[in-house]
Amino acid sequence: MTAPERLLTVTPRHTASGPFVIEVAGELDHHTARVLTSAVEEAPFDRDGVVLDLSGLTYCDSTGITVLITAYHRAQAAGTPLSLAGVRPDQMRVFSVVGLDQVFTFHPSVDAAVSSLQR
Amino acid sequence: MRPPDEDARLAAVRRYQILDTPPDGAFDRIAALAARIFEAPMATVAIVDADRVWFKATHGLTGMDQVGRDPGLCASAILRGEPYVVTDTVTDARALANPLVQGHPGVRFYAAAPITTSDGQRLGTVNVLDTRPRRPTDAQLDALQDLAALVMDELELRLSAIRTVTAERDRRAEAERLARTLQRTLLPPALPTVPGLQAAAAYHTASAQEVGGDFYDLFPLNDGRWAFFLGDVCGKGADAAALTSLTRYTLRAAAIYDPDPCAALANLDTVLKGEYQGGSPRYCTAVFGALEPLADGSFDITLAGGGHPSALALRADGSVQPISTTGGQLIGMLPEPRFVQTTTRLLPGDGLLLYTDGLTEARTPDGAMLGEEGLMRHLATVGALTADDLLGSVEALLSRLGDGVSDDTALLALSVPSPSENRNQENR
Repeated sequence: MTAPERLLTVTPRHTASGPFVIEVAGELDHHTARVLTSAVEEAPFDRDGVVLDLSGLTYCDSTGITVLITAYHRAQAAGTPLSLAGVRPDQMRVFSVVGLDQVFTFHPSVDAAVSSLQR
Repeated sequence: MRPPDEDARLAAVRRYQILDTPPDGAFDRIAALAARIFEAPMATVAIVDADRVWFKATHGLTGMDQVGRDPGLCASAILRGEPYVVTDTVTDARALANPLVQGHPGVRFYAAAPITTSDGQRLGTVNVLDTRPRRPTDAQLDALQDLAALVMDELELRLSAIRTVTAERDRRAEAERLARTLQRTLLPPALPTVPGLQAAAAYHTASAQEVGGDFYDLFPLNDGRWAFFLGDVCGKGADAAALTSLTRYTLRAAAIYDPDPCAALANLDTVLKGEYQGGSPRYCTAVFGALEPLADGSFDITLAGGGHPSALALRADGSVQPISTTGGQLIGMLPEPRFVQTTTRLLPGDGLLLYTDGLTEARTPDGAMLGEEGLMRHLATVGALTADDLLGSVEALLSRLGDGVSDDTALLALSVPSPSENRNQENR
């Protein structure tokens, strides 16, 4: 009964340069979303910033989008810079349809996101 | 030869749902332990079926997962409540005829303890085999009985786990069935008749297990105009159905106070934020439209979009045109969402399609998303259509995509009959 969770892997890590990176790979949907929800809850939303690495994200349904917006709310409330890195074109189209392209800061890669946060 | 109450015994074997299951470490370890205790080369955990002896686990008997139910060994062992021992098969007429004795591996020694259920049914045995005759000690036979009891405990645990999972699955299936029923009640049973307009709608279900929260409606406003909406709430199942219900009634009520499409979406945004603040925020996406009939038979349409795919117009000349509400944001979760409003006119022969993203996020056989582009290409090949035909064409596309469609899809099609169709209707 835990099998669906295996479709999503969430790997949080501190970077030497400061920002907290959460790597999200696989399918983010209503079966798997709580794995990312917990990772976001446990992440330090401090002034070093948080980067969600979505380069390995192959699918994101509406529940997944809810988790991303929750992370956005948390970042807004804490004054923490939050960015999404490596979003694939298919996924970017989905984000654009719901208008999230106007909400998040996007970077092509984690490196780009991290160096932008350091500036 | 057969146990006196063989039917009841076989029923017990079936009840534990163990036959033909894949290897399981717990039983493998019991077989290995039995062999070690007897310092014998072979041991098995065997279940006696109607006409075969099936090995749940074997140790030292490679490449053998079942044998016939020949007398002399396991088939005889389950006839008795205590350990069954053949010290030398050469001196036992029944055992001597057994294929395991006659052929490979040439068994000379056999000792078995029955695996017995609490109601006394003997399902099979834990047994050890050797290719030389031997005389087991009482301590070894006691240990063999303990191992058989351990197998029985394991079978009981498995059965109770199977029952829990089955009950949970049934319970979940029932909950989904109720959610599906509830979801159906949230769709209008039939669309109203709008003079001078054709309208058709459909709900395409992708999975029987996961109920989506797509919705649509078409209804009159107080000023001679009509309103329609189509959208999708986040999530699945009963929670999504509750959100769908709230969304649908909010949009209908909002339209009574202020039929301006952007105002209707803004009102919904406020209601959703009030309802779901704190704990688990929820959102929906929707297109809301107002239809104004004009004297020449055409309709002016004002559309507002909140995070929803743009409606597509099919013009009388066969061209396909997005009525773009791109830039509109999802409803209910963003601090100050932006909704985008646009207008278009449906002339006689024109059609309009509204859909949820189950359609455009469907995967084509090459693995790519269909996308708005793919949908527009499909519509361009079919040309101008009435609302019914337009709907039929998109439903045909959905069934061609088959398993590529992973989410529910709602469709709403509108069309203004062309002058020739009007004449045809008058001739009827």
